[in-house]
Amino acid sequence: MLTRVKSAVANFMGGMMAGGSNGDHSGGSDLPLKYPYSRPEFLGLSPDEVECSADHASRPIVIVKETKRLPWATGYAEAINAGKSALNEDQARCEVLVIKRKPGGNPTSSQIPMTRRRSSLPNGEGVADKYKDSPYLDRTEDLMLNYWALFDGHAGSGAAVMASHLLHHHVALHLQEVLEILCTPNLLAPTCLGEEPINHHLTPTSQRALTRAASLRGAAGAPCSPGSPPTRFFTEKKVSQESLVIGAIENAFKDMDMQIEKEKGVYNISGGCTALAVVCLLGKLYVANAGDSRAIIIRAGEVIPVSAEFTPESERQRLQFLAYMQPQLLGNEFTHLEFPRRVQRKEVGKRMLYRDFTMSGWAYKTIEDDDLKFPLIYGEGKKARVLATIGVTRGLGDHSLKVHDSNIYIKPFLSCCPEVRVYPLGQYEHGADDVLVLGSDGLWDVLSNQEAAEAVTSFLANCNPDDRHRYTMAAQDLVMRARGVLKDGGWKISNDRLGSGDDISVFIIPLTHASKQN
Amino acid sequence: MAYAYLFKYIIIGDTGVGKSCLLLQFTDKRFQPVHDLTIGVEFGARMITIDGKQIKLQIWDTAGQESFRSITRSYYRGAAGALLVYDITRRDTFNHLTTWLEDARQHSNSNMVIMLIGNKSDLESRREVKKEEGEAFAREHGLIFMETSAKTASNVEEAFINTAKEIYEKIQEGVFDINNEANGIKIGPQHPTTNSTLSGSQGGQHAGGGCC
Repeated sequence: MLTRVKSAVANFMGGMMAGGSNGDHSGGSDLPLKYPYSRPEFLGLSPDEVECSADHASRPIVIVKETKRLPWATGYAEAINAGKSALNEDQARCEVLVIKRKPGGNPTSSQIPMTRRRSSLPNGEGVADKYKDSPYLDRTEDLMLNYWALFDGHAGSGAAVMASHLLHHHVALHLQEVLEILCTPNLLAPTCLGEEPINHHLTPTSQRALTRAASLRGAAGAPCSPGSPPTRFFTEKKVSQESLVIGAIENAFKDMDMQIEKEKGVYNISGGCTALAVVCLLGKLYVANAGDSRAIIIRAGEVIPVSAEFTPESERQRLQFLAYMQPQLLGNEFTHLEFPRRVQRKEVGKRMLYRDFTMSGWAYKTIEDDDLKFPLIYGEGKKARVLATIGVTRGLGDHSLKVHDSNIYIKPFLSCCPEVRVYPLGQYEHGADDVLVLGSDGLWDVLSNQEAAEAVTSFLANCNPDDRHRYTMAAQDLVMRARGVLKDGGWKISNDRLGSGDDISVFIIPLTHASKQN
Repeated sequence: MAYAYLFKYIIIGDTGVGKSCLLLQFTDKRFQPVHDLTIGVEFGARMITIDGKQIKLQIWDTAGQESFRSITRSYYRGAAGALLVYDITRRDTFNHLTTWLEDARQHSNSNMVIMLIGNKSDLESRREVKKEEGEAFAREHGLIFMETSAKTASNVEEAFINTAKEIYEKIQEGVFDINNEANGIKIGPQHPTTNSTLSGSQGGQHAGGGCC
């Protein structure tokens, strides 16, 4: 992910059995780690097993053990990189969470206290209990959700490890705030909490009532029912429950990023990470992505993409606009304009192709001295970089990341905000071979959506539908197709292409279980 | 824990011959009669002492099923020792040894020490492969040989430790270049790095026959 980090760890190339026990890239920090480096908790690996998993030479594909079954029979597999970093910088999480009504809440009131939540940040125990610990599942006010997440770290594993421990708690905290609204079927989100209760139900007989005055002002024309009280003097957007969940997830990402920033003063939290999180709640899948991991649904063999990657190329215009508005962020060393290649001094005065933030196409401009600066976005495809430093434009952490040998911070250009897409699980019939695939970029760098879908579909078709390991074996198979096999000392995949040398992590989540559950 | 050397082992052989049980008996000193099928690779580790030196064995237990063969093949890389296991009560597992051996020789470094293990020696009444047959196969292919029982723990310690002794001797003889981790040997953090053996000389050192 980071150009300069790659060279720093190049001496690990070809190294054998690099120990998992040796330290992280601490960046010389004397601060303690908040969470020690390990592999995903659900793998339940001992320190010895973690050490084995970090063998850069034979790159073992580590899978969920027989004894550690994941919810929905979810399959998971991972393989470490070929030597670009000592540790596997991907992390993963899989949880079943029960969100409970806040203690002291009045069960009959629709009023939700909106005092600024929590004086302390979550540290692993929060509002969300693990499924197995909760005797309260039958209580209608409790909400159960499934959560899967992948984090791909860079410049150290600290941020990825921390986010894997805490992001779901932030999600739970934000969902808890709107728990009562979510628990009332068909309820629209009240615009303002604490006002006189209005009937927001979307049932045909109780459409939102409008006063004559409001109607005259052109409010959405709902039939006026006599005697319905509060006066509305303006049109109001209707906000769905779905949007509340999306908002909760978005704010959870933001809080997670803020927590990393805040706790950097106390703990050694190295690097940054991408985050791809999936929440299954009330019959819908919410796929939140900040970074270059990817999620696809395979339904009846067809690929349905459910996330988009955020890279210097895909976010060029946002980044260029920011740099245009705040040129001081470029430290007088970069230009926000894009050119097809570096501009040479002898070309000043000539006309050259360029793009600004307003453009997706190209045009010519006369080259000036200022255009000789290094472009904000440079490189193509996997090699594209922001400020010559980072190849991913959304994620968590990276608060101290600077352009090499300069005082220019990268963080202002990075966004911690995920794009959340919703997949209405309940609206479709799903068979045993219909799955959601989550993969870090190590997978997608070498396999297209179609290739991955074909691999998974054909693997599952040859697998006993009752085998509870089938999704784990499919994940293992997919990781192998991306990692490749050793041939003449190198990793090769089908058609003699190069395998991925990056960390590779894959979840395969069957969608039938969701249908059964709901 | 500090160690002088770390040796990587790989356990191979047909499905159901007791690979995972041998590992469990060696690392945890227990036997699990019903064991789920290994569907990829599992790891174990244990410290042993040879010649007064602490040696850490890092053991990779692989799936025996044919369908996982392409996955497990890369795990030979960097292994210093291999335990090739068959089941003395199933002739077919013995018949497949040649295939396993070819696979192992092709994908490992040439100095890898291979221990042939006839497992389930407690099931004498159901024996299909004579001990002499195992010995003969080992002699012919330059392997060490033992019969073990993961159930009674008979010879399990010896199988793992004798393999380590063999590797250790090769280090002493300078057969293994311990600075090249591709040989599956890692020098422990405490080990002085100055007296490392200089060698690149190829094998021919396989001590034949059963050593016990």
